[in-house]
Amino acid sequence: MQNENAIQTINLTKTFKSKIQNNRTALFQRKKTITINAIDNLNLEIKKGELFGLLGPNGAGKTTLVKMLCTLLPPDGGTAKINGYDIIKQQMQVKRSLGTLFSVGERGFFWRLNGYRNLEFFAAIYNVPRQKRHERIMEVLKLVGLESSAFDLYQKYSGGMKRKLSLARTLLPDPPILLLDEPTTGLDATSSRNIREFIKNTVSQGSGKTVLYTTHYIEEAAQICDKIGILNHGTIIASDTPNALREKIKKEEQIFLIVEDITSQQIERLRSVEGVINLTENNGEALPNQKGLCLELKSVEQLPPIFDFLFEQKIRLVNFKREEPTLEDAFIELTRKAQL
Amino acid sequence: MSAELEKIYYFMKRDIISFSTYKTNILILVMTALFGALSFAYLGSNATMQSVLQMYNMNLTTYLLIGLAFNSYLAQSLTLIQKTINPWALEEVLVSPTGLTTFIVGSSLWGFIWSTAVVVIYLAIGVFVFGVTLSINIVGTIIVLALGIGTFIGFSMIGAGILILTKQGDPVTALITIATSLFGNVLFPPQVMPVQLQAISYVVPQYYFFTSIRLMLTGWTIPQILPDLLILGLMCAIIVPLGYAIYYWCLKTARRKGTLSWF
Repeated sequence: MQNENAIQTINLTKTFKSKIQNNRTALFQRKKTITINAIDNLNLEIKKGELFGLLGPNGAGKTTLVKMLCTLLPPDGGTAKINGYDIIKQQMQVKRSLGTLFSVGERGFFWRLNGYRNLEFFAAIYNVPRQKRHERIMEVLKLVGLESSAFDLYQKYSGGMKRKLSLARTLLPDPPILLLDEPTTGLDATSSRNIREFIKNTVSQGSGKTVLYTTHYIEEAAQICDKIGILNHGTIIASDTPNALREKIKKEEQIFLIVEDITSQQIERLRSVEGVINLTENNGEALPNQKGLCLELKSVEQLPPIFDFLFEQKIRLVNFKREEPTLEDAFIELTRKAQL
Repeated sequence: MSAELEKIYYFMKRDIISFSTYKTNILILVMTALFGALSFAYLGSNATMQSVLQMYNMNLTTYLLIGLAFNSYLAQSLTLIQKTINPWALEEVLVSPTGLTTFIVGSSLWGFIWSTAVVVIYLAIGVFVFGVTLSINIVGTIIVLALGIGTFIGFSMIGAGILILTKQGDPVTALITIATSLFGNVLFPPQVMPVQLQAISYVVPQYYFFTSIRLMLTGWTIPQILPDLLILGLMCAIIVPLGYAIYYWCLKTARRKGTLSWF
């Protein structure tokens, strides 16, 4: 049976020893060593063609995971498979299956060469055939929108252009799987959006590549990823579609009403309508003659009796909003639960 | 004013704390200064001039010119592989389907070509400006150079490997540099030193390299320098695989610890 997973980790583990230096540590004094579980028995499956977002706070283990998957960092336990190849035993095949973009990728370029010459070097070490090299370099430069700056010196590139060239380098050998470690870090809003759109529309949907996209920007992951995994202290604490993750933390239906001409007695009666769990006043968005009411309901089916009540009592409904939890709410709630 | 002084103090404190974390580097700096002073003390002695005339039948200018030209060559060779350890570029290359040997050879080749050009310039200045007379045994020179380069690539790999682990300052490169200037027959023949120090010269490959290359450039034949050449060859055969093994091990250790890009 053909393996449908492009990336699979099996009890993957990595620990680091770190030396602690505090304000009392004297010069040349031996520092205290602590052990950190950067990746802790991680089991993760990413299907072929999926754009998978790995979301986690700083220090969650995202870069460590990427470095292990691309064979740069050997695991201390477990293993992982890339395109069916083992990251410990079949490193060369793994490298041929991957394009990796590191979070500080621009440092890996040669500043006194132009964009084209930089890519020419990487095309050679990634075994792009010599006859196809020029064509492929121009193709990826065009894809990332750097065609007109191909022969400008790398040192003159802006931050956004450097990131685009990193992406071009990642795409150069046309690998089936891409590991993109925080590809928009340090970029302005427009450049970030361009790169996100490029990854979703051209890389993922356009060419069907599998993408592991790490970020700590929640909305960025929500916008482009098919599926999201939340990594915290080296463990995946939740993995699903962005909508399903939101649903996971959704306990009750929440609605927000702004009404006019409502009395305190009517608010108390509204509180006792069947299905209303809680009612609180929130007049932040309401005008002086209005009231803002936040209602928690058992389900969305409880809405008709509420509207009936307002109609019977001749209470004018000015605004109605169904409160949906955001992915940020889900992220905070899930990481909070994981720490308990 | 006191606030500015305090800022200066904190700049200095930051640098001292950072500097103190590179203990190997501190030791190397002290040793280099000490041995550098010793080398120049011997260079200026009358014994050096007499010994050069007696042993090599050449004037001090020719002796120093060849010594300095090839010392710069070996010094560059010694740091060639270290210069390729830009931690970010190293990561980018290591994730590509490129083997370690290709990486080492590819990264150092241009450096060797450039170093060769520099040696040619040195020798040309010697010949055309200072009237130095050279009588080059081409085959012998190529053999000696190949063995010398091989040995120094071995040293370079050891140094680069250790640098990957210590991050700043590797004791091997410093020791080799010191050994070259003091015991390598670069600036003065070791025979002008006390007997106990002379003994060290006979266990460092630089001594055999500089002795052989001088003789190959001044009209001697290969059979005349064969014993020195054989010792140099043996040392090269040991140091190259040893260097590769150490470089490989250090790289593997840094990857395991995740410190490859920490500099």
